[in-house]
Amino acid sequence: MIQVNHLQKDFRIHQSRPGLGGAFRDLFSREYKTVKAVDDLSFTVEEGEMFALIGENGAGKSTTIKMLTGILTPSDGEIVINGYVPFKQREEYVRSIGVVFGQRSQLWWDLSPIESFRLLKSVYKVDEAEGEKWLERLIEELEISPFVSQPVRKLSLGQRMRCEVAASLIHKPRLLFLDEPTVGLDVLVKQKIREFLRNLNETENMTILLTTHDVSDIEALCKRVLVMDKGKLIFDGLLNDLKEKWGNGTEVSFQMKKRTSAAALRQALGEMPCEIEQINDFTLNVKVARSQEMLPFVLSTVMSSFEVSDVKIEETSTEDIVRNIYSSDQEVRSHA
Amino acid sequence: MQDMRHIFSIFADYLSQYFKTRLAYRTDFLGDFVSNLVSELINLIFIVVVFTHVPLMGDWTRDEIIFIYGFFLVPYALFSMFFGFWDFNERYIIRGEMDRILTRPIHNLAQVCLESIAPDRIFGVITGIIIMGYAAIQLDLSFYWYDVFIFIGLSISGALIYGGVYTAIAAVSFFSDSRTGIAPMIYNIQQYGRYPVDVYNKAIRFVLTYVLPFAFVGVYPAAYFLRKEVWYTYAAMTPVVAVVFFGIGLLVWNWGVTKYRGAGS
Repeated sequence: MIQVNHLQKDFRIHQSRPGLGGAFRDLFSREYKTVKAVDDLSFTVEEGEMFALIGENGAGKSTTIKMLTGILTPSDGEIVINGYVPFKQREEYVRSIGVVFGQRSQLWWDLSPIESFRLLKSVYKVDEAEGEKWLERLIEELEISPFVSQPVRKLSLGQRMRCEVAASLIHKPRLLFLDEPTVGLDVLVKQKIREFLRNLNETENMTILLTTHDVSDIEALCKRVLVMDKGKLIFDGLLNDLKEKWGNGTEVSFQMKKRTSAAALRQALGEMPCEIEQINDFTLNVKVARSQEMLPFVLSTVMSSFEVSDVKIEETSTEDIVRNIYSSDQEVRSHA
Repeated sequence: MQDMRHIFSIFADYLSQYFKTRLAYRTDFLGDFVSNLVSELINLIFIVVVFTHVPLMGDWTRDEIIFIYGFFLVPYALFSMFFGFWDFNERYIIRGEMDRILTRPIHNLAQVCLESIAPDRIFGVITGIIIMGYAAIQLDLSFYWYDVFIFIGLSISGALIYGGVYTAIAAVSFFSDSRTGIAPMIYNIQQYGRYPVDVYNKAIRFVLTYVLPFAFVGVYPAAYFLRKEVWYTYAAMTPVVAVVFFGIGLLVWNWGVTKYRGAGS
């Protein structure tokens, strides 16, 4: 459904010199620096997939999504989505996609959402009867009916955001782009939106792409994750694989009844490849790599050798993984 | 062509939304209505007073000049009604509203025009017609039935000439992300189109006819109704000039859109 080949976007950025004297010199000769916002990006997406594009600020996510939606013209490479080249056949193409920019509203500020929907319906030339039925479903599932007739400027961010999502779906697109849809929303609203999106994906087989900084979004919604850094794609795969690759493994925290030293625990575990950390006299943490079937072994060994009062198992959260990716150096990245 | 039909049907929707928003602030709406009416009235009185002190300009009598001025107001009002995106650079480029425009299936220029539509400019048309009526009575002009259509055609052409030039200038914003200061300059030049071109020297006349053809918005078409046969060819060329210049504007615009860089977000 989405095919991206060697996509590239360069920006020429004017380097302004410091100070007033610099500004004068800028008048006559300007220095430009070419920045590769997106560098040799290739991936394909099947219909009905739900996937996330993550990366630090300035990694090129927004630029990528803007090229995918046809807003920006790529410097090089090709994009084909639904059989269209977005920036060339823009007006036909955008009929098949919906876009939500978390930071930008597409509703008319002074109108109520329902009026905006009506206007959008004629912009997209939506069939009256069918469109009405679809809209009713959107209003019901997003639970926006209590405030759908109030002017947008009087809505809270959470209310507005749900209306934004409804607005972007008015023409029943095959593909939905969400650029940071949950920024600044409270947990309940986030959950509502996620649930709605998941349901949409299941019932309508809608392809959904989102960029986000919120790791819980990804965990709740996406199987597949693309990670970008400095314009390059550094990971493309399942969330599970991502965890395996960059995860810290599993951490087990044992609360002992008697004083136990790390050395004693080490002895019990033998040559087992794991890290042992002494927290205090009674508490010890054991870190094991993920998915090597070592966890049951560690647990049973420790339980049988020591008197344990409590056990806590912590898996590395996706958040930690993302932090690991962002802070890891180049050599780790080259594995991807 | 189907796209054009779609744009017109959307236009009606936007217009009704415009009035709906305006009516939401009831007192504002009334206030605007009255202040528009008053300002046009003052304008009208001002024009008449100023021109009573100008008996002749080149070969043109005072009343002829008043007529040209009145005619000019009509395409100008149409232009400012539909091409009201004075803040294009600020609103669409710097704040990145263009992103949203580009994800909707109507030509982006049409959307920008519709979003900044200013129906209250219609008062300019009324003022223009009153001024022309006054001048026509003074000059004892006679009209044919088809002059109405010619008038409409020439007015739309005039508005399109302005629109084309203005669109091309606005499109400069796509290329540079700094604020542009060309608009005021153009605004000054367009004022010249209101007066008979043959009072100017050759260079200005050339500019107003071929480079920034604002003479086609005022003098040339008005000359047709004043029955100045010397200018008939120019008057007849008005629609052609309109198509050419609006076409150029649209081309520059479309080219600019491919250079759009978006605002960082």
